[in-house]
Order: sequence, then C-alpha cells, then structure tokens
Amino acid sequence: MSERLLDVTDLSIEIETRSGPATIVAGIDLHVDKGETLGIVGESGCGKSLTMLSLLRLLPNKIRVAGGRAEFQGRDLLKLSRRELRQVRGGRIGFVFQDPMTSLNPVMKIGAQLSEPLIYHRDMSRADAWKRSGELLRLVGIPGAEERLHSYPHELSGGMRQRVMIAAGLACEPELLIADEPTTALDVTIQAQIVDLVKELRKRLGMSVVWITHDLALIAGLADRICVLYAGTVVEDAPVDQLFATPGHPYTRGLLASIPRVSGSTMARLSSIGGTPPEPGRRPSGCAFAPRCPLAQEVCRQNAPALQPMQGSSNAHRVACHFAGRLMSEAA
Amino acid sequence: MLRYIAMRILLWIPSVLLVMLGVYALAFYGAGDPIKLIFLRAPGDVAYDPVRVEAIRESAGLTKPFLEQFANYLLNLLQGNFGNSLNSGRSVWAMISAAAPVSFKLGLCAIVVTALIAVPLGLVAGLNQNTKLDYTILGSALFLWAIPPYVAGPLLMVGLLLILPGIHVPYGWGGVFDARIILPLVVLSFQPIALIVRQTRAAVIEVLSEDFVRTARAKGVPELFVALKHVLRPVLTPVVTQLGLIMITIINGAIFVELVFGLPGLGRLTVQALINSDYPVILAITLIGSLLVMLSNLLVDVLYPLLDPRAATSMKGR
Amino acid sequence: MAFVPMSVPVPDEAPVSLWRDAWSRLLRNRLAVAGLVMVLVLVFAAAFGPMLTPYDFLSQNLEARNLAPSLSHWFGTDDLGRDVFSRVLYGTRTALIVAVVVTAIAVAIGVALGAVAGFFGGLVDRTIMWFTDMTMSVPNLLLVVVINASLKTPLSQWMEARYLVTLNPFYRETIWVDFLLVFGSMALISWPPYARLVRAQVLTIRSRPYVTAARALGLTNRIILIRYVVPNALGPLIVAVSAGLGSAMVLESAFSFLGVGVNPPTPSWGNMISDGLRVWQHYPHLLAAPAAVLGLATVAFSFLGDGLNDALNPRGSK
Repeated sequence: MSERLLDVTDLSIEIETRSGPATIVAGIDLHVDKGETLGIVGESGCGKSLTMLSLLRLLPNKIRVAGGRAEFQGRDLLKLSRRELRQVRGGRIGFVFQDPMTSLNPVMKIGAQLSEPLIYHRDMSRADAWKRSGELLRLVGIPGAEERLHSYPHELSGGMRQRVMIAAGLACEPELLIADEPTTALDVTIQAQIVDLVKELRKRLGMSVVWITHDLALIAGLADRICVLYAGTVVEDAPVDQLFATPGHPYTRGLLASIPRVSGSTMARLSSIGGTPPEPGRRPSGCAFAPRCPLAQEVCRQNAPALQPMQGSSNAHRVACHFAGRLMSEAA
Repeated sequence: MLRYIAMRILLWIPSVLLVMLGVYALAFYGAGDPIKLIFLRAPGDVAYDPVRVEAIRESAGLTKPFLEQFANYLLNLLQGNFGNSLNSGRSVWAMISAAAPVSFKLGLCAIVVTALIAVPLGLVAGLNQNTKLDYTILGSALFLWAIPPYVAGPLLMVGLLLILPGIHVPYGWGGVFDARIILPLVVLSFQPIALIVRQTRAAVIEVLSEDFVRTARAKGVPELFVALKHVLRPVLTPVVTQLGLIMITIINGAIFVELVFGLPGLGRLTVQALINSDYPVILAITLIGSLLVMLSNLLVDVLYPLLDPRAATSMKGR
Repeated sequence: MAFVPMSVPVPDEAPVSLWRDAWSRLLRNRLAVAGLVMVLVLVFAAAFGPMLTPYDFLSQNLEARNLAPSLSHWFGTDDLGRDVFSRVLYGTRTALIVAVVVTAIAVAIGVALGAVAGFFGGLVDRTIMWFTDMTMSVPNLLLVVVINASLKTPLSQWMEARYLVTLNPFYRETIWVDFLLVFGSMALISWPPYARLVRAQVLTIRSRPYVTAARALGLTNRIILIRYVVPNALGPLIVAVSAGLGSAMVLESAFSFLGVGVNPPTPSWGNMISDGLRVWQHYPHLLAAPAAVLGLATVAFSFLGDGLNDALNPRGSK
C-alpha cells in the first residue's frame, strides 16, 4: 500500500442558522495517497468545497468544523497553531479556486500576487520572487510571461487567469494541490487545456491532486480514484475504472447516466435524477438519498448505511448503500 | 488618460459657472440694491438722495441687465476683484486673502488628521467585526458624530482650563506649529473622523467577503499583510471618493470652530458677514467653498483610475 | 436504467412576506430597537409634551432664575426663570416639525427628479444628474447662509408692508419668515441623495429580466413603475429618510445656533445651546439639557437608520 498524504476521518461541518446549527457535512472519511489524484464529485451544495476549505480553515463566517480529524503528513491540520497553519497554506498545500476573476486581487499586479507565497514561505527577496514568478508563468504555459507579470487580472482572459491561479498554487511546489472546480467558469475548450496542464504538471512535479468537480466526465481521464459525495457524506469511493465499470451506488449510477455519450450510431436518451438534495437541517434520518432513490426500502429510511467494500469488487471499492450488492445483480 | 482628464475639466467648468450664476442671482434679486443698502447703513445723517443714488448706480454699472452684470462680476473675479464689503467698505479680496490661509491650513491639517486616525480605526473595527473592540470604536465614532462642533468646542476648551489651570487660553491663531491649533483641530476633525471610520469599516467588511482575500490566506500570507495589502487597498477607493463630503463637513465645522476659538479665518468671516448681511463677502466665500468641493470632486475623478486599474483600462477605450 | 422522479417534501411553512421578514429582523437588532424606542419617545414628546408639563415654555418667573435641576423643575430654569424641561420639549416639537417638513419636501423633489431621470435617460438624465451633482457640491451651511442673507430682509419687509396694508396680524408673525426660510433653504439642499437613490433603483430595475419580460407582455410604464420600481425603491428610501430626518434636526440646530434659524423666543435646541454656551460655567444644566437631547436624537436616528439598512437590504453578511 502506498504512503498516505492526507487522511480525513469523520469530519463534520455545521452552519449556524437562526434555529441552531445545521449539519452540512456529516462525518466524511477520505484519504489521498502520495502522488495520487483524487476526484471529488457531487452536486452543488453537497459539501465538497467546504470539506476542502475546512482543511486550511478557510471556511466562511458562520460555518465551522464540528468534529473529526484531518491528518496531513501525520499532523492534524485542524489542530495546528496559526503559525503552523500559515506554513501549510500555500507552502505544503496549494489551492486553486473556482472563479479566477474574483479570486485574484483586481488591484494587484499578477507578478505581485504570484510573488507572495515565495516571499512568505521561501524568504525570497522581492526581486528573486518576481523572477521566479516569471518562470512559474512559463511553467503554466503563458506566452510572454515576463511582460505578463506587470498585467492586472482584468487584462487577461479567463483561461489565462486560471493558469495564473494554478501557478500561484504551485509556487512553493506543494505536496498537495487542491483544485476547487477550477474549470467551471471557463469555456469548454479552455477546460480541456486546464485539465491537460494539471495532468502534465502533476507528472513533472510528482504531487498529489484533489480535484473537486460536479462533472464526472471531465475528470475521468485525470483522476486515479473518485469519491462521490451526496448531502455531506461519501456514498462511493472507488478507483476510476471500477467506478465507471461497476458503479455501486444508485446515485453514482444516476450521475453516470446523465453523462452524454454517443453509443454506436444513436444518441442514448439522457436521464436525470429526480428531485433535489436535502437542505442542511432537513436531513432525513436514514440514508440521505432515500427520498430520491428508486430502490429505497423501509431499511433505507431507518438506518444510514456505512461505507463498506462492495461485494464482488475489490477492497478499494467502497459503497454506502444497503443494496449495493443487489443492485449489481439486477443490473447484470 | 490625458484626454479623460481634459474631458473632466471641460465638463467641470460649466458646473462651476452655473453654481456661480445661481448664487449670484440669489444675491442680485434677493438682497436688493447694494447702493441703497450702503446708504441705509451709513453712520450718521447721510441723507438718502434718490438722484445721487441713481447717479452712483449708473456709474457702477448697476443699471445694466442682469446677465451683463454677472459677466462683469465674473471678469472682475478673474482679476481678483470681488467687490467691496458693504459693512467696512474694504475690498472683499483683501479680507478673504487675509482669512483664507488660516482656514486652508486648518482644513488641510484636519484632513490629514482624519486620514491618519480614521482609516486605521475603521480598518481595525472592520477586521474585528462584532467584537468588543469593534463596538467600542463604532460607539465612539457615533458619539463623536452626535456632538456638534459648537458643543464640543466650548466644552473641551473650558474642560482643559479646569484640568490645567496654568495654561494660556487656547484662543487665536499662531500658525500650524503653534500649540493653540491643537484644540480647534481636534474639534474640527471629530465629525469627519466619525464619518470615515464608519465608511472604512463598512468597506472592510465588504472586501473581507471577497474571494481574493480567501486566496491570499490560502497562499499563506500572514494576516497583517492580508489586511495591509489585500484589504486596505480596495477599501481606500470608496473612501477616497468621499473627499467632497469630507470637505463639506470641514467647511461646515470650520464656521463654528473658528467662531468658538477665535481663529481669524473664512468661517469667522462668514458669521460676521451673516450678522451684518454683508452679502458680497458671503457670495465670495460661498463661491470659494463650492469651488473647493468641486475641485476635490474633480481630483477624485482624476485620481480614480490610479486607485483602480480596472477603471484605467476602461478609460483607454474612450 | 432510468430514475423515477420522486416527489420531494416541500417546505410546508407559509412564505413570510418581505416586509414582515424585515420587521422581524429589525426587532432582533437591539440597537435598532433602542433607536426606534427613542424616536417614538421624541415623537410623543413633540406631540403631547407641551401639554403635559406644568409650566408654559414662555412664562417667565424672575424669582426662580437659573435654578438647578430639581423635582419641580427637572432640567432647572434659565436666566428668565423659564422651565428648561418645558422648553426642551417644545424644542423637540420645533426640531421634528422642521425635520419632517424639510424631509418631505426634499423627498418629493428628489423622487420626482430621480424617477424622471431614470425613466427617460439620455439628455434629460444627464442634465438632471449634472444639476444634482452641482447642488451637492455647494457646502450646505454656506448656501443656507446665502439664502438667509439675501432673502430674509426683503421677505420681512414684504411681510411688514402686507401688514400695513391689510392689518392682518398673520403678517406680524416673524416666525413664519423664519420657518419659510429655514424649511425652504434646507429642502433646497437636501434633495440630491433621494434623487440619486431613486434614479439608481429605476435604472437597476429597468434592466432586470423580469421587467423586460413584463414589457414584452405589454405592461405600460406606469404599471411597471407601480408594481416593480416602487416596492423595490421603498426599502432604500426608508433608510435614507431615517438618516435624512436625523441630519435635518442637526442642521436646524446649527442654523438656530448661528441665529439664522428659528428665532427666540420660540424654543429650539440650537438657540438653547447657543444661550447655554454663554453661561455654562455657572449654570451647566442650561447647556447640558438641550445638547444631550440633540445628541440623543442624532444617535437615535443613526441607530434606527443602520438597523433599517440591515433589515431592509440584507446581504447575508451577518
């Protein structure tokens, strides 16, 4: 077994509401190995971004971690002192955010924003950091890198801005890069370029990547393993090929069925999952997916299923569903 | 960029002219015939002789149509001739040029004091939103806002005398580096400080929720530098646009502060002119005040692209 | 394999109306409630206060001059033996009448100009906004001073002449001249913020997709105005009016302090402060009472305005 880099156990996140705290993330378990790329997939609002933000304690006001551990290189991130936390942020863990337009400071030059992690983590002088920033821009494939350092974010295109964000995340060669839906705000052609860029950089720098997305198809070629999140819990965790070949959870199957695919000469009719995920604070008592699940039985409404290895598949393929096995036999 | 500045100035001139026209019209139609007023005010038994008055009016160009008189007034203004005081007969220009430096220096100091005190306080309050520190700063600002300068001035002045019985009465003017400036300056800065503390705090809270602040933290930038480099810069832009409002607050305040502390500035001149209905003086001071406010608005317009690079880019397109 | 759409439990609570929601948000804000209570007390004092006090605000009692506060005279008496508490209460009436009338006129002018500018756009919009900006750049105190200096004398003369012709005692009441001048000049300078606000609201709402959709369905401008613009603009307008009432009260006291506002013997906080300042080392209550009430009123409207702002324009920050 390869070396663990990040190990999150039983992480819960709450939001403060008028009627008391409501759970958004309910006891998530996930891990990332060294050199591995983990895809985290789920609908918007399922807690995938909050889970990752909580690791660096970047949660918005009124949202806080309610319990659990998040060990990174053997130390619990949630218990670090401010000083230690600062060294991890941008130094050991790089972060790439969703919307590069709002995530870059509009009144600071690109070069200054890229220099920051180098100045604060590597004790570089301003001039050295500026020079290194130019190299970083070249690394992420921005033409005319040195001149671009003097640009402001609004003078770049969306794809260029996201490349800048990635360069900033990579500046200190972190062990882990967390990318939070980095392509959502971009055009489809640019999306593919960004995916390819990260793929190539990962190989060159040997880092681990966590890629958050709602788009299964996008990360199929990028991730080694995929975690499917639903309403703040992991419902399925499997190596990418097993997930696509034998999806265990009805929700995963729903997601897969909604990917447009050309089969033979005819386009298969797309299906969608009916209903909407539960709101925080209105979580059903049993399996959170039960109200939308076509296979739900009485047991599903009573007991929440645990994440367990799926019968007839490898140990690495784990599903949280009472009927994971039966589903398989029915589908076969 | 130069074209933009030129455009702003070109648009600015008609505004100034219209304000002048409005104020001049008020005085022209409201106050009545200045020559008659001079006669009525003259000490002793100067007989009011309609024939003589008519002759003087004729020679002073006061029988001409309104617009022509306004044009003459403007031409005289350009040569620094604001007419004569109804009360003392002195040249208004001489009175103003004697008083203006006092007010300008005091006002400029008040702006500097406001910027140095209010922006850091607002920043601290905003960064510590809803803490005791925040409430203390906000509460003090509200308190300062609620005391008008004509109450704060006398209270502080006499309060100081009671605490330090040996000191000189802080009355009169001795320049910017004279100890007597301290108290008027403090009182004059109260309301602008309250204004800017609240503005800065609100802007900080707004900026703190921006994504780029989260990015800075994710990069491991220490909190102090997050505040100074990422929060303060975007906060300054909306705060600087309040310069015109601050000018008005300071001009309003100076009227009272100069009266209370006996400073020979434009504010005290205003009150004296008001008591004497000396409208050439009031007219001139109002024009200067409006010009100052409009000038600071122009300054903000011109400076804006420097503060916000996004505005600079959109201007290149024009 | 297809998914069967399942019915999802729909929240069963009735939708709370926007206004009731805002109201409950306001009541949860302690400072806003404090402000609201203080404002209500002021309104009550203005309406019924003068009837409830045992003393007339004008009646002099030269045997009870400059008394310190006691049970029979809560705020003491002044140099003419008048009950200060009764005078402060009557001053509340003066201040509130001025504030309400001034704000009403200013809102009427502002809303009309702002709506016209927003709806017609183009040259009309630019002209109105140009005019608005200009009005905002004349220091308000100076403008009122100009208006007073130029109009007070002719207006009083005209009133005197009317009296001599008609012998109607109405024309002898100089208080009407004061009120007209104070109200008129204050309203003339207070409308720009309302105009800007209404114009901005009209512009935003006009560009909303649902209004475009309403237009496509054939709704007229008037219906769009009533159904969409008015309800949306009402919230910000209420906030602005709350702030405007507070600053109108402060302005009124400032003018009275300078002697260009409400003249004695009609009590106003401003002229009481002005009188109190002359003797306050000996009789501090003569200054403290009106100054404290003015300060409280300012703070009350500030609290209420901030609370209304949070309640009516929630941006989820808190």
